[in-house]
Amino acid sequence: MKLITTITNPILMPHWLLDVLLTIPRITCGYLLTVEFGSPKFGLPWSNPDNGLGLFEVAFWFPQDVAQYGSIFAIAPVFFAWMGAFAEGVGGIILALGIQTRISGFLIMCTMLVAMFMQQWNEGIWMMLPAMGFLWIGMFYMILGSGRFGIDYLFTKKTVK
Amino acid sequence: MRTIALLTASILLLVNTSCVQKTYKKTVLFSLDVSKIKNIKTVGIRGWDNPLSWNNDYPMKEIVKDSLYQAIVTGKTGRICTEFKFSINNKVELEGKENRKVYFDAKNDTTKVSFVFDK
Repeated sequence: MKLITTITNPILMPHWLLDVLLTIPRITCGYLLTVEFGSPKFGLPWSNPDNGLGLFEVAFWFPQDVAQYGSIFAIAPVFFAWMGAFAEGVGGIILALGIQTRISGFLIMCTMLVAMFMQQWNEGIWMMLPAMGFLWIGMFYMILGSGRFGIDYLFTKKTVK
Repeated sequence: MRTIALLTASILLLVNTSCVQKTYKKTVLFSLDVSKIKNIKTVGIRGWDNPLSWNNDYPMKEIVKDSLYQAIVTGKTGRICTEFKFSINNKVELEGKENRKVYFDAKNDTTKVSFVFDK
């Protein structure tokens, strides 16, 4: 229980306005991850029906893409594809809402590291930029937590110092 | 510790139960009216789903001279539709407009569709 509380407790800024500023990239990136990047490859209530995805199903083409990364990804492509799609689709929405922000930040960070080094590495730095951007976002919120304007704060308000 | 174990078990359960979208073999018979176009050398289809691509033509066969072309495209997909455009002499139709979309016949494996080039 103590561990969960520690993970959930956000670090608060000295002034609430700074927390507002930190909320903007969290909501924007969370929204983009879950709607634009996650929902075409992971079955969510807001996925396009044309994709034919059931709830929490990973798109048929994604494990094939993941297998092409080679090494450990070729051994368990379904697991890594599902985890990557989950990190974007579900990780994105919980990041936006500030629910278990550190866990979502960690999942997003891992996914973006794979995207950068296994998918975009040979495409050049310009193509790596989107994944790199989300990597920093994941890393920052893994450290900071949700801040004052997230669900995590509401649950841990009494214990936040 | 118990919560983490529970969380891990839930994720593994989800991975193993929901998993990967099922795919089905779908065939589309495309018919294209090109009677309004002159000097035709090649006619093809470009699109998202394998074996179609946006870079190269999937060739169509001439059925009626200078008038009707057809192609049978078969692929495995989990989607309920496919998006594409036709091209003549490597020039893709409907420039700046949305892609054409065909919803697969839910009851049959083969879907038959007819179009007029650039309309």
